[in-house]
Amino acid sequence: MVKRSRFDELDQAVSGILLHPDAPLPADARLAPLARIAAELTTLPRPDFRARLKSELQRGISMAPSSESMQREATEEETKPAVDPIPQGYHSVTPYIVAADADGLIEFLKNTFGAEEKFRAVGSAGGRHADLRIEDSALMVGGGGAGLAWKGAPIPNAFHIYVRDCDAVYQRALQQGATSIAAPVDQPYGERSASVKDAAGNHWYIATYKGPNYKWEGAPTIQPYMHPLRADPVIAFLKHAFRAQELGRHASPDGVVHHLMLKIGDSFLEMGEAHGPYQPMPAMYYLYVPDCDAVYRQALSAGATSLSEPADQPYGDRNAGVKDPFGNQWYIATHIKDVAPDKNQ
Amino acid sequence: MVARAPASERSPQQTDERLLVEAAQKDPARFAELYEIHFERVYAFIARRVGDRDAVEDLTSDVFHRALANLQRFEWRGVPFRAWLLRIAVNAILDRAKRQDREIAVADPPELSIQPGLQQVEDRARLFRLVNELPEDQQHVVVMRFAEQKSIREIARHLGRSEGAIKQLQFRGLENLRDRFEVKKIAKPRNIRSATASKKSGGKNG
Repeated sequence: MVKRSRFDELDQAVSGILLHPDAPLPADARLAPLARIAAELTTLPRPDFRARLKSELQRGISMAPSSESMQREATEEETKPAVDPIPQGYHSVTPYIVAADADGLIEFLKNTFGAEEKFRAVGSAGGRHADLRIEDSALMVGGGGAGLAWKGAPIPNAFHIYVRDCDAVYQRALQQGATSIAAPVDQPYGERSASVKDAAGNHWYIATYKGPNYKWEGAPTIQPYMHPLRADPVIAFLKHAFRAQELGRHASPDGVVHHLMLKIGDSFLEMGEAHGPYQPMPAMYYLYVPDCDAVYRQALSAGATSLSEPADQPYGDRNAGVKDPFGNQWYIATHIKDVAPDKNQ
Repeated sequence: MVARAPASERSPQQTDERLLVEAAQKDPARFAELYEIHFERVYAFIARRVGDRDAVEDLTSDVFHRALANLQRFEWRGVPFRAWLLRIAVNAILDRAKRQDREIAVADPPELSIQPGLQQVEDRARLFRLVNELPEDQQHVVVMRFAEQKSIREIARHLGRSEGAIKQLQFRGLENLRDRFEVKKIAKPRNIRSATASKKSGGKNG
């Protein structure tokens, strides 16, 4: 008879403990101390649960009241500015998509995701500008099209969008001219998701969360999704320039960042290092902050280059433009007065 | 009921914890630090009272969400923050039992106070944290074997190693944990079998 190794003997004891945690432990003096440790480990928490709960809490943290914020509410009434620096209906970050056929993209967004058009005009440069809403999320669309003088380079973006029925929206996107990147599939992180690329080059990661609601509690409908070559330099810039907070990351042992969640102001952004069809896509963002001038200076000190200096705009915002070292354009704005929409500004 | 210690009897850990709790009340982003400190404790506390792993995860999640939502209500009166968290855990377990309108896998009613079994909970939480200090290959095997309840064959396939190598890593991992655990532990470990018997009889030592 072949003598079994102590590794086999311990494994047999471990298998028994996992199957019947309350059963007596082996009496063998060599194995008993290790079996005791194994018995204590039968309730070891799953690391992915620990990380997921932390991420959920960090989303909740943005909504939790602080004692300072409650005190501020009581004392800020007298010093409150005439208007909110973030106008109603907007969050801190609004993605701004530039498309060669802006009107075509607007139709795609309406027909695929039920986008609501809030405003559409021709800007001073002769191009289209439109404000859209998809549920709780704002989007800006600009660019050219039939009868418009504007000629420039498109600036698409990538988005994680939560919908009630991933499969139906995926089919609708294809019917509206998008091409499939990935068909709907159940993901191990609790979502059913699919990916498409629209005619303007935007990536849409269409997802339905498999929980009590179709999106995580506190999740916005749309989150921009960056695909930098390396995540850490981008995060370092965003932290320095815009006080971004990293909420959690999923990285492989070799350090590749597969998924990362960031928060700027009250807005969430996601990131996954470039791979396969998901390559860097420098994008444009409109960023509302309480003090446009200060954040503009901060962005320059973090390594951005200036596109335009802070200036009051006829549409009621004071804003400035910068380009970060990774090619993303940020229009940093503070809403300073409410102005009736002008369809020719 | 947990006794409240006068300020002069507070330990340095309690003082640090108080500062951290106050910081989190001012800036909720600091709650993440409290989560890092207390996750294993809360999880082990609930796991000792509720058998099903999914239920343990639901309840742990519930406890931290409730704690975050009610953080402003926590008043420092000498009661450690962990006792407050465990009180929330007891209430969450009871609420769940009421919702289900039947006996869930709660060990037994006398366990639904904080104190019984607290030392065992603290020991187990410390053991869970020690897993993170293991060499990476041992850590992977221990996590997959115990937290994810995978077989040796599944782990071997996943890690691209032989089953013999995985069994060896399991042995080394448990040996390492035993050494690290015993070094830090002052009292001699109790026999698991007698602890289980005590729990089943509603004993106070757990």
